Amino acid sequence: MIQTILNALSLGGTYALASLGLGLVFGVMRLVNFAYSELITIAAYTLVMTSQMPIIVGFLLSVVVTSIAAVLMELLVYRRLRGVAPAIMLVASFGLSKLLQQVYELCFGALPRSASIAPWMSGELKFSGVSITNTSLITALLTIVLLLVMRFLLNKTSFGIQLKAASADFRTARLLGVRANHLITLSFAMSGVLAAFVGAILVVGNPQVEPMFGMNMTILALVGIVIGGISSLPGSALGGFIVGVILSLLNTWLGNGRVYSYSWLFAVVFIILLVRPGGLLSKGQEMERV
Amino acid sequence: MFTKSLVKGLTKFSFAELFIPLVVVASSSLWLSGRSTSLLLFIKFTLCYLMMVLSLQVFVGNSGVLSFGHGSFAMVGAFVSGLATAPLMIKQNAMALSNLWQPLVDFKLNLGMSLLASAFAGGVFAAFTGGFLMRLNGLAAGIATFALLGITYNILFNNNHVGPSNQALPGVSQFSNLTLPLVLVLLAMIMVYFYNLSRAGRTLRATREDNLASRGLGINIIRVRWMSFTFSGVLAGLAGAMYAHVGGAVQVQDYYLGFTFYTLAMLIVGGSASLWGAVLGTVVVSGVSQILLMWEQSSPVFGITIHLPIGTRAIVIAGMLVVILLWRPNGISNGSEIKLPNFLRKIKAS
Repeated sequence: MIQTILNALSLGGTYALASLGLGLVFGVMRLVNFAYSELITIAAYTLVMTSQMPIIVGFLLSVVVTSIAAVLMELLVYRRLRGVAPAIMLVASFGLSKLLQQVYELCFGALPRSASIAPWMSGELKFSGVSITNTSLITALLTIVLLLVMRFLLNKTSFGIQLKAASADFRTARLLGVRANHLITLSFAMSGVLAAFVGAILVVGNPQVEPMFGMNMTILALVGIVIGGISSLPGSALGGFIVGVILSLLNTWLGNGRVYSYSWLFAVVFIILLVRPGGLLSKGQEMERV
Repeated sequence: MFTKSLVKGLTKFSFAELFIPLVVVASSSLWLSGRSTSLLLFIKFTLCYLMMVLSLQVFVGNSGVLSFGHGSFAMVGAFVSGLATAPLMIKQNAMALSNLWQPLVDFKLNLGMSLLASAFAGGVFAAFTGGFLMRLNGLAAGIATFALLGITYNILFNNNHVGPSNQALPGVSQFSNLTLPLVLVLLAMIMVYFYNLSRAGRTLRATREDNLASRGLGINIIRVRWMSFTFSGVLAGLAGAMYAHVGGAVQVQDYYLGFTFYTLAMLIVGGSASLWGAVLGTVVVSGVSQILLMWEQSSPVFGITIHLPIGTRAIVIAGMLVVILLWRPNGISNGSEIKLPNFLRKIKAS
């Protein structure tokens, strides 16, 4: 039971982080960045490649690599697409995602690369008869800490307040003196950092890294930001968390019917969207033009 | 009233706008397919993609609402057509089909009827789901249609009572020549053109341009979107069935993410707002892809042979997608229908 709850919390937390990473960028520029999945993947590859070094070094390296990759994406591609319809940016990001997958395939091969990363994570802890895996405990704690840090950054720092303002209404925020390019670049860097954490969490659980490693996570995290609330950053995190928790609980409860857990998840998503098209945390009558 | 400059897309019938795309598709298909059997197969697959892109153009292009859900209509179309035409012997003996629901085992139609049935199935499925989906706007609509795709895929992939689940259904009857698929695609192009021209198509584009104003003008947004969604469901069902009849097998993975994004990319690259854009996008993306494939295999294209390492194709296609969108965010056609070159128009006017 405790293990079930902890699993749900840790998966929920991981999805919340990924959703927040996508949501940071989505909020300021209405971009659904599919290539986020390649940021997660490159983080995982970096960790696998540096598995000989101490984990902390590998992790710091992966943070650097992903945030640089994220900023490059913005400078080389998305900056030039500023102002075009969201659907077109989405397709462009999909193209970029495919492009990077092919590049990974060239560099690392199509077959999974694996290495044992932080083997002590797979152990078990026993508390008065209840055993829980280290991974889920550490993931749950780590995501809670990270979400609190993000909360602090968003609510207490100038950058965070600007980011929230820009998410709610980008044009007005610009008129009030928010420096658009600066902010967008920073939010890309930050989403890269979150991708590094997500990649690290995923790779510890499943150290088989292949070019499409981050894809599943990214799509579900995207679902999360939409059900959470399109223009709200806490909403993104909440939506991701809900997706992760539902998925984890379904996998536990459905038993042999587990293969249909995605159907149930998507059915829940469907209903949430029909009841609250703007997402759970949407405020008032906001409608996009299309 | 609208002034003409505000409305992007068709407003009045022009012979050239319909005729040129038809001629381009028909002549290039006939010319290329006669050159080799591998090119014939390529043309057949391209026609299936074109059908799918036309379906997406009808809905995504005119309404401006992104849909990832059309793959599910294609899946249903392919399953209907596949199960209708696979021989009884295969249905009774294949391991993957041992749990198939009895009425589906007995379900038998000829090729033409099975195409009709799958178009019908795609349309009914779209009409039913569209009743819910059309209330949504923007990204929420995109995600809800994605959820639809996810559910359909998940069920068909795992349930062996309604199909071959995660395996292939072999023995689906194949198109004996190019005539039937080509005629279907040309007919679909004519229908799409006249749909775009019709009152329904134009009001739908009005809702794309300005949601609030079009409601103010008394347009029932949900209804015009629903009509278009249903029509595009018919075309998507047909596209899925055609794909099954070209490959001679049905496998649900073929209609999932790759298929969805590949066809959406074709539409966006060509320019989603017009029939010409749909045609152009399909021709350019699949044409470049085929040329690169032949070069990867070191075969000559128009007498030119370049030896490309394996894997180049995928990189170039993905890169091309990004570069084209950077260069022309509204697609190669820029959202307009094809126009006669200036000198020809002058001759016509004089």
